[in-house]
Amino acid sequence: MFLQKAPTEGKPEVRAGHGAYFPFKPWRVMRLTKALILYIPALIGLGLLTGCDNNPHTPALRKKRADGSPWIVTYRAFPQDPRSLDPQFAYDEISHAVLSNIYDTFLTYDPLSEEYHLIPMIGAELPKYEPQPDGTVAVTCKIKPGLYFHDDACFPGGKGREITSRDFIYAFQRMSDPKVECPIASTLQDYLIGFEDAYNNAEKAGVFNYDAPFKPVEAVDRYTFRINLKKAYPQIKYWLAFWFTAPVAREAVEYYNGKIIDGIRHPLFRFHPVGTGAFSLHDWKRGELIRLVRNDNYHTLRFPAGGWNVDVNSYLAPLANSQLPTLDEVQLIIIPESIPAWILFKQGWTDSSGVGKDIFNSVITASQELTLEFEKRGVQLIKDLDLDTWYLMFNMKDPVLGGNVKLRQAMVLAFNADTYNEIFGNNILHMTDQLLPPRMFGYEASFKNPWRETNLEKARKLIAEAGYPNGVDPKTGKPLEIVLDTEAGSSTERQSAEYDRSQFEALGIRVRIEENLFTQMLEKQMKGRYQLVSAGWSADYPDPENFFALFYGPNIVPVGHNQSMYQNAEFDHLFEKMATMEDTPERADIIRRMNKILLTDDCVIGPIFNRVSYRLRQPWTPYFIKNAIVGQFGGLRYGVIDTALRKEKQAEWNRKKYWPLLTMIIIFGIVLGYGIHKRRQANV
Amino acid sequence: MFRYFIRRVLYMIPIILGVMVITFVLFNMLQKPETVARRLLGPKASQQAVANWIKQRGYDKPLFLNTQPGQRLLDSQFVNYMVSLATFNFGVSDATGQPVIDRFKEGAIPSLSITVPAFFLGLALAISLSLFFVYVRETSIDFAGTIFAVALMSIPVMVYVIFGQWLFAVLLKYFPAYGFSLQGPDMVRFLALPVAILIFGGLGSDIRLFRAIFLEEIRNDYVRTAYAKGASPGAVLLCHVLKNGMINIITLTVASLPMLILGSLVLETFFGIPGLGNMTLDAIHNSDFAVIRATTYVGTLLYLVGLLLTDLCYAWVDPRIKLQ
Repeated sequence: MFLQKAPTEGKPEVRAGHGAYFPFKPWRVMRLTKALILYIPALIGLGLLTGCDNNPHTPALRKKRADGSPWIVTYRAFPQDPRSLDPQFAYDEISHAVLSNIYDTFLTYDPLSEEYHLIPMIGAELPKYEPQPDGTVAVTCKIKPGLYFHDDACFPGGKGREITSRDFIYAFQRMSDPKVECPIASTLQDYLIGFEDAYNNAEKAGVFNYDAPFKPVEAVDRYTFRINLKKAYPQIKYWLAFWFTAPVAREAVEYYNGKIIDGIRHPLFRFHPVGTGAFSLHDWKRGELIRLVRNDNYHTLRFPAGGWNVDVNSYLAPLANSQLPTLDEVQLIIIPESIPAWILFKQGWTDSSGVGKDIFNSVITASQELTLEFEKRGVQLIKDLDLDTWYLMFNMKDPVLGGNVKLRQAMVLAFNADTYNEIFGNNILHMTDQLLPPRMFGYEASFKNPWRETNLEKARKLIAEAGYPNGVDPKTGKPLEIVLDTEAGSSTERQSAEYDRSQFEALGIRVRIEENLFTQMLEKQMKGRYQLVSAGWSADYPDPENFFALFYGPNIVPVGHNQSMYQNAEFDHLFEKMATMEDTPERADIIRRMNKILLTDDCVIGPIFNRVSYRLRQPWTPYFIKNAIVGQFGGLRYGVIDTALRKEKQAEWNRKKYWPLLTMIIIFGIVLGYGIHKRRQANV
Repeated sequence: MFRYFIRRVLYMIPIILGVMVITFVLFNMLQKPETVARRLLGPKASQQAVANWIKQRGYDKPLFLNTQPGQRLLDSQFVNYMVSLATFNFGVSDATGQPVIDRFKEGAIPSLSITVPAFFLGLALAISLSLFFVYVRETSIDFAGTIFAVALMSIPVMVYVIFGQWLFAVLLKYFPAYGFSLQGPDMVRFLALPVAILIFGGLGSDIRLFRAIFLEEIRNDYVRTAYAKGASPGAVLLCHVLKNGMINIITLTVASLPMLILGSLVLETFFGIPGLGNMTLDAIHNSDFAVIRATTYVGTLLYLVGLLLTDLCYAWVDPRIKLQ
């Protein structure tokens, strides 16, 4: 009944509605709302904070193995979901990183060799090449008996059956089935007898006949199959180490067809792989987690007997020659953003991490070593040379650049590649004189490309000899204008293009940068509608043929990948010869000659570099793999985790801090209490 | 009422058609099927593989009308695409080949698990705070509250996400910086931080809006009558002002209810919540037109349903309004 009281002089009043007055009493408001605003959230908050921690892991499938030893899980951040886990379809690195742990191949790379040496995997021995009188080649492949597919519902009784030569043939049949959309089908058509016919017949019929005889690959016996090549093609061995040729069980493809059978929805085969590898897919929650579990029946490979560095010997020596894999469960956590992925690694919740450009300077010093903080933590830095080559590429059909070798040479000579490396590559790019990356057959450390050095004076002389003294076009009297096409994907790409311009403009020419969307850029490159562009190639396999094919005349786009539109009869002749040769000194001589024609004489591409991947591993993951391909793909089967050390470090790095919150609560309480006290005093 | 409902449903058809035409035209202007195929199959894919991919998905057909001899006139990309949407047959993802409807089913629950609690808790908090600010209106507390609300409104959601992750997951280590689970107590651990961020992201604008609504109400004659009858300020606010103000609040918020299923693009990506927001962003990155068109279609439909519900709610909660 306070409205009946007359307002007290000097007391605060608050207008309520039109002309209605009542005294302001904040403690009444507090009574009304404090339960809602303060007590309930405070109780919930306290409950959460005491019960919660920052462990982001999905609980492991088990705590202990059947023998009572601990169940070992590795946690890895993964940038995105694989597009497909169908080995005959997937063609991206993300899918490969998963597939290589689920499917085994006939051959694989030796994990202890920096060079790309192949060793048998499912194969009992390396393939045997038998040239035939008609010029064709039969490649005989023998597989180890007693190897099995993963246990799966697609097999009778749910038990995986033995791998036979039929499963390899089925994989090749799937590659020639147009509906599978195998990306290397057109490559294999050029080399495998009858592959193109099988493809075309299936396309015409609308369905592939898997029961018809298949000429490209035939069964010799239960454990032997023969690949029939039109001509010598030594690179077939690399395809046998590639997941496209991994054996596939026909039962699995037919069972996982996306249909509802007996009330159960069968997923598509591309989402439910049934392989032969060290791990099988347990579950895949899109955008969240891919979980692999140990294949207890895995006998294809064993842990290496030795050959690792001394510092990891105490961990690895007890595992020598033991059964693989050493881990029980793999959790690939899908984290598209780099910030959360880095947070989890720093907190010890993931076992490895890449070194992105955002964090590079906080992790790596100027001398390319770990910073003190990470060194103290015991983090290991792994440096892998990627199997790729990057460069600036001239359009050889362009009337200005294509027909003027001296102009191209002058431009390359004016380019300071070392400064580029410093600014854009954190000084870790491998600047090179030749097309092939190191550790590959054909790479020669002694090969010198005269245009690799930076010599502006010499470049100016060359551009004058090219017909453009001081960069001026005599026809127009103005500086020669060159268009540099770049993809406007990020600020780094723009800055890189600006750097390229500054290098070339030192010659007096003018460079116009044209920014393109990814799609426009791709179209320009596929149609050869550009003058100068930044390009590169990640190899499918470590053979010189895979790199030099980019400049082989008959491969000019859109038929092949020769986007430089380069055509040179001698180069093409040498390529044809080199492509079908074994790795002999003669082959090395031909590669040297091809490098000279391409880079020195014709100067088709500019400053060349190879990328180096930096990866971090936690102190509890002893690492011994020397081969970059195995390290990036399939290395999980050799993974070792010191779980005790991990637990200790995780506890140390993730102690909750209560003091900031308590301080905030105390300050808030004081301020609120003081406010209420003052109001009460004012209303007395 | 029924006639009004039918009329509104019929109005939806040209709107949906318009949105889908714009989506179709924009996508085909920006992304040629060949480029999408190359992006998905990889730059090394052969010309044949690209052509095969395009054919398998029907992107080789004419855009609007098929005037090729021997072909059906309506066998075109646009007509096929509209027919499939009208029958809720969303087809398969261009990027993965997975049925789009399966992706919707998988993503709906994770999205709802953050948007529903955030919506209701945020609403309760915004109503409580705005009532409080109305009570203390024209005082320094009200002024401070207004500044607080404007500040909350001005900060982009991204800042809340990054700051929230840094403070609670990195510095204080109370919650996981990333991850998702709907199993038992883990659910609270994983959802607390994203839900809190989502609440704070919308709190400022809600406080401002609800405060304005309640201020409008408190100046009405019935409030003065209530005071004259001796009701306490608390009773007036909670029993009269809140009740009448809720009419406006319900009608304003009901429009966003159907949209809750679509989740939050930024939040889901940063916290690893496998919801529909995450799926949409993934589809945009991959140029997955099949998923983008399905999401746009469902989004448009839900938005229109929300607007219709709003209008129906007006008539339902306010007897003075008659829908004709």
